Amino acid sequence: MSTAQPLRLSQLTAAISETLNNVFGHRTFWIVADVTNHTFRPDKNYHNFDLVEKDPASNTLIAKIQAKAWGKGAVSIAEFQTLTGQRFTNNINVLVNVSVNFHPVYGLQLTINAIDSNFTLGLLEAQRLATLARLVRENPEFIRKVGDDFITRNKELALNRVIQNIAVISSKTSAGWQDFRHTLENNHFHYAFTVDDYFTVVQGENNAQQFLTRLIDVFNSAKDYDVVVIIRGGGAQTDFLIFDDYMIGKAIAKFPVPIITGIGHQKNETIADLMAHTPTKTPTKAAEFIVNHNRSFEDAINKFRQNIIIRAQQKFAADFKALGQVNNTIVNKSHNILADHKDKLYTMGTSILTKPRVIVYNKLNDIGQIRSNLNTFSSIYIRNQKSYLAHFVSMIKIASPENTLKRGFAIIKNKNKITSDPDDLAIGNEIGIILADKEITATVTSKKEYDGNDFNV
Amino acid sequence: METTLTYEEAYKELAAIAKEIESESVSVDVLAQKVRRASELITWCQTKLRTTEAEVNKIIAQMDKQP
Repeated sequence: MSTAQPLRLSQLTAAISETLNNVFGHRTFWIVADVTNHTFRPDKNYHNFDLVEKDPASNTLIAKIQAKAWGKGAVSIAEFQTLTGQRFTNNINVLVNVSVNFHPVYGLQLTINAIDSNFTLGLLEAQRLATLARLVRENPEFIRKVGDDFITRNKELALNRVIQNIAVISSKTSAGWQDFRHTLENNHFHYAFTVDDYFTVVQGENNAQQFLTRLIDVFNSAKDYDVVVIIRGGGAQTDFLIFDDYMIGKAIAKFPVPIITGIGHQKNETIADLMAHTPTKTPTKAAEFIVNHNRSFEDAINKFRQNIIIRAQQKFAADFKALGQVNNTIVNKSHNILADHKDKLYTMGTSILTKPRVIVYNKLNDIGQIRSNLNTFSSIYIRNQKSYLAHFVSMIKIASPENTLKRGFAIIKNKNKITSDPDDLAIGNEIGIILADKEITATVTSKKEYDGNDFNV
Repeated sequence: METTLTYEEAYKELAAIAKEIESESVSVDVLAQKVRRASELITWCQTKLRTTEAEVNKIIAQMDKQP
């Protein structure tokens, strides 16, 4: 039994309040705790949650207290979400600045004044690095680290020259999805695209499995996609942690179609970005990348076309020129050859015409010469012969028997035959002697050798 | 002219004739024959070049119509 007059509850709560105020009133504390039972009323920008501490060994609660954030605390939480990409929600470990409040109705509560983004960033970064290290360690066949870069199978895929068939993994309600489609469909060059949407929830680490399922759906579609585009963004700059998920990073690294990310975040690249073929900053940039990629193909084609035109024209010019030169050569040279041959022929013809005349003339000359020689020499010859003849005539005349007889010589005949051999004549032979114009008959009376010189004329 | 003739073949033959004529090693017996052949080849080559050029210009014009 109590002896004192009982207090009204409000008197007690007022006393507690005063006592707490005296001790904690204007003080603030930095504490590390986990968040749980979190609710948020966007209309009032009011967070309600519990802060808890668990025993690291047993995981049992060793401390728990209600907490709320509104006003500057809520603003700090919004900044925290933007900076870290981490939504303020259950099961996160935070460093918060709190004041201790006691409310007569709601009891003991901590009011959040500020939340330290760097603390969470540090945690997240450590977690991210651990995930990256695990990706490299456990998947050496398609992820390796070279210097600061991650080389993945997806990164090593060659982009098709033209990107036309696109699978998009995105949230249906995402402003980023609309940005992407708008940029793609209203491109300056009127490129046409076939875009298949694979809608999923792209926020909250817990939705990683759903996201993975959609990626597998793309793979199983058996469509020849040129690229897979993963986008989110546009809305609140929170909740990118899904893109730091181990399984998603692994799936992207291994995926057989080049993946372009346009995740639209401000902090460091997510693991999805690092594993993907081509990371871009925003959905709009992802679309621009695709359009530019196609544009560079068209540029290359145009350059080829220009080269073909120029080369074709050069070739034609050169060919026409070469043909013209050959033509000239043939025409000129043919004329030359003909002219040369004509000259030679003319020269030959001329000599053929004149030479015979000369020959004939010369021959005629020769013949004339011979004829005149003949004349001259024959008459000389005849004259000589005549004189020889005359000489002989006179000689013969001189030697004639008449003349010999006239000169005193006589012819002896023996038996009616003229003889000049005295041996034919024997003594007693009757001989005839012809002397001048008389024949005398005589008888040989003697014969002796004669040695007179009556004939010495 | 042969239907299977290519420009390269025709031009090669033409160049050979031209060389022969240029070096005056061609005999007068076959000069007319060679020049006739050369003339045929030149006409053929020119026709071929012109038609090809016209065709190419047409194709280029078509390419320009669809940028």
